Amino acid sequence: MFSKKRAFAGVALATGAALVLAGCAGGGDAPEADPTFDPDEEVTLDLAFWGNDVRAELYDEAIAAFNEEYPNITVNATFLDFPSFWEKRQTEAAGGNLPDVMQFDYSYLRQYSENNLLLDLDPYLGNIIQTDPLPENILGIGVVGDTTYGIATSTNAWGLFTNPVLLEQAGVEEFPGGSWDDYAAWMTEVTEAGGGDIWGGGDYTGRIQNFELQLRSEGSYLFSEDGEPGFDEARLTEFWESRSDIREDGTIIPQSRVEELVPKGGFDSALTASELTWDNFGAGYLAGLGEGYTELGLIAPPVTEEGAKDLYLKPSMLHTISAKTEHPEAAATLVDFLVNSPESGEIFGTNRGLPASETALAAAELDPLSQQVKDYEASIADRLGDAPPVPIVGYGTLEEKFRQIGVELAFGTITVEDAVSQFFSEMDVVLTS
Amino acid sequence: MSTTATRVIVTGKKSSRGPLSGRGKGEQDLHRPGQRSRQVKESLAGYGFLIPWLVGFFGLTLVPMAYSLYLSFTNYNIFSPPKWIGLDNYVRMFTNDPSFMQSAQITLIYVFIGTPITLLAALLIAMLLNYRDKGAGFYRSAFYAPSLIGGSVSVAIVWRAMFAGDGPVDTTLSFFGINLGGWFGNPALVLPAMILLSVWQFGATMVIFLAGLKQIPKELYEAAEMDGANAWHRFRAVTIPMLSPVIFFNLLLGLIGAFQVFASAYIISNGSGGPAGMTNFITLYLYKRGFSDGQMGYASAIAWVLLVVVAIIAFILFRTQRSWVHYAGDNR
Repeated sequence: MFSKKRAFAGVALATGAALVLAGCAGGGDAPEADPTFDPDEEVTLDLAFWGNDVRAELYDEAIAAFNEEYPNITVNATFLDFPSFWEKRQTEAAGGNLPDVMQFDYSYLRQYSENNLLLDLDPYLGNIIQTDPLPENILGIGVVGDTTYGIATSTNAWGLFTNPVLLEQAGVEEFPGGSWDDYAAWMTEVTEAGGGDIWGGGDYTGRIQNFELQLRSEGSYLFSEDGEPGFDEARLTEFWESRSDIREDGTIIPQSRVEELVPKGGFDSALTASELTWDNFGAGYLAGLGEGYTELGLIAPPVTEEGAKDLYLKPSMLHTISAKTEHPEAAATLVDFLVNSPESGEIFGTNRGLPASETALAAAELDPLSQQVKDYEASIADRLGDAPPVPIVGYGTLEEKFRQIGVELAFGTITVEDAVSQFFSEMDVVLTS
Repeated sequence: MSTTATRVIVTGKKSSRGPLSGRGKGEQDLHRPGQRSRQVKESLAGYGFLIPWLVGFFGLTLVPMAYSLYLSFTNYNIFSPPKWIGLDNYVRMFTNDPSFMQSAQITLIYVFIGTPITLLAALLIAMLLNYRDKGAGFYRSAFYAPSLIGGSVSVAIVWRAMFAGDGPVDTTLSFFGINLGGWFGNPALVLPAMILLSVWQFGATMVIFLAGLKQIPKELYEAAEMDGANAWHRFRAVTIPMLSPVIFFNLLLGLIGAFQVFASAYIISNGSGGPAGMTNFITLYLYKRGFSDGQMGYASAIAWVLLVVVAIIAFILFRTQRSWVHYAGDNR
């Protein structure tokens, strides 16, 4: 059933083939050329992004536009919500099969690039990926070490959204700006006027960005490039204790209500009148609110110290390519299209944040909401400082832990003292591992 | 696990004769050279057929388990090679991780309250179904159905909707003046709701009880009745002892299964283990540690603690068996 002759012939053939292949590889010393993409090659790419139905439709449109230009590249797009998206990527990273092109979050950029999971984009910059429309500081966002791993699609900044419809129902004026205490007092006013159906907002101390904002006002930061925290236990205690008042007097929406709304939140369920978050969240909020809601207020967050440069522009998301992709040129072509093309600007508007690429931004026909984001980012110019360094490895974990602890504080199932010690022990593990 | 272990032992005993040579007279023939080579050939064929199973057992069970035990002593973030840290993961779990302690606590409550209630409900319904045969088929299927679809996404979503603030359960309760405002958003009520969900899936347990009840000889009841035993006495003196092996089996499987609750908690809390960590059962917690936080070493350590706890509980149950489980033909 197994002849020796045949086996021998097989081995001989294989050896011959190997020699020929080796000859090819060694002999043809091809000159280093700019990578280009063969427009006739049939290629299939996987694209993964996080978002919701609204964003998925936009991606569908963008891929259709991409296929008009590159009919030979089939793009299989999949999407998940943010936490599931990263759970999936972690398993894929372990198995070595990340999607070719990924929408990427700043907080995971260092971790993935330092572990050689992302493609070095430098060879594609200036040829397949146009760099002229991308300002230097935008390109710098995707650099870890000295290598570019991601291209920012867009930028965003922290802001305060308000719901004019609810404010009118409650009969309270828009928050005129002011200190954090002023904001808390305004929330109480809305809640009292809301008569049990409307709340002024949620517990903002559950978001690490609000803490960061205060730290930056004091000239400090969350984490340095080397992973040193810019705060101690006392400072975190102070932050969480600063809002015991509205947690206890019923100003904020009851946490049990919020839990029942998951995956939506109090703000996009029309129960709270304000929310501190990234300025590109407006479209998602309006989609969640549904009919009867056509506009939102977007104003600067409360001030900790006058004149401080506490806000900053960060990439709302980037595009990266898996280091193991079989079609780096095609993948780079897709990234260039998603970032730079006028079509993508026109389709996405500010759904992913204010387009970072000048060509995309110029083509973006800004709907009122997008225009509002653009105006907002212009209005906070004097509060914008330098962006913090690319987040430390494990930042995503700490951000989530902060949020979970915030939920427990809002429930009242944990004391501030325990909350602080929990966060620090988590930080200990993350920073030393 | 125990069946696997038994099988290994059996194979080991037989292997001196070659696994497939159960012919009886093979041993006498061993000194004949021709027979001997045939014997070897048969053994080889036997092992050949065993290979898929062996590959599966080593590749999918033993090696991964050993590797996870190794990982539990390391710091491993999936991306870079594991770093040996000795017992640090275990120390951290018991001294420096309140989330783990909470997780362990709610898991134990879930297991030790949920399982007995499930068993009771299953036994009760099984006895009802055993009492009369009319329409038994329909009711059996109806009660069994939830446990078929129990782990599914849709059921957890329906359950979530039913116990929501404006869902049917709360609406009904508020009709009687009880206002709870939703179960799954309330840290105090979410655990009871989870236990209810598990009790509702008693179907498989019930079917096994039913089979056990059918095995009890009618004569025993008749004899008891002759002696003047009432229904309660008959239940105490006949049903329970005769059923005790089945009760033991269901109790063991129920406890082990309850320790592994995951899907319903994941869906109901949207993967967060909330509200306030009250659905953060141990398997969900270790999953999140491993896959969202990239702390695979720590997650492995938690998995091993879970394994040891389940093993201890199973061991204790087996030891107490002697005092309350009666097997047919037993002299005790």
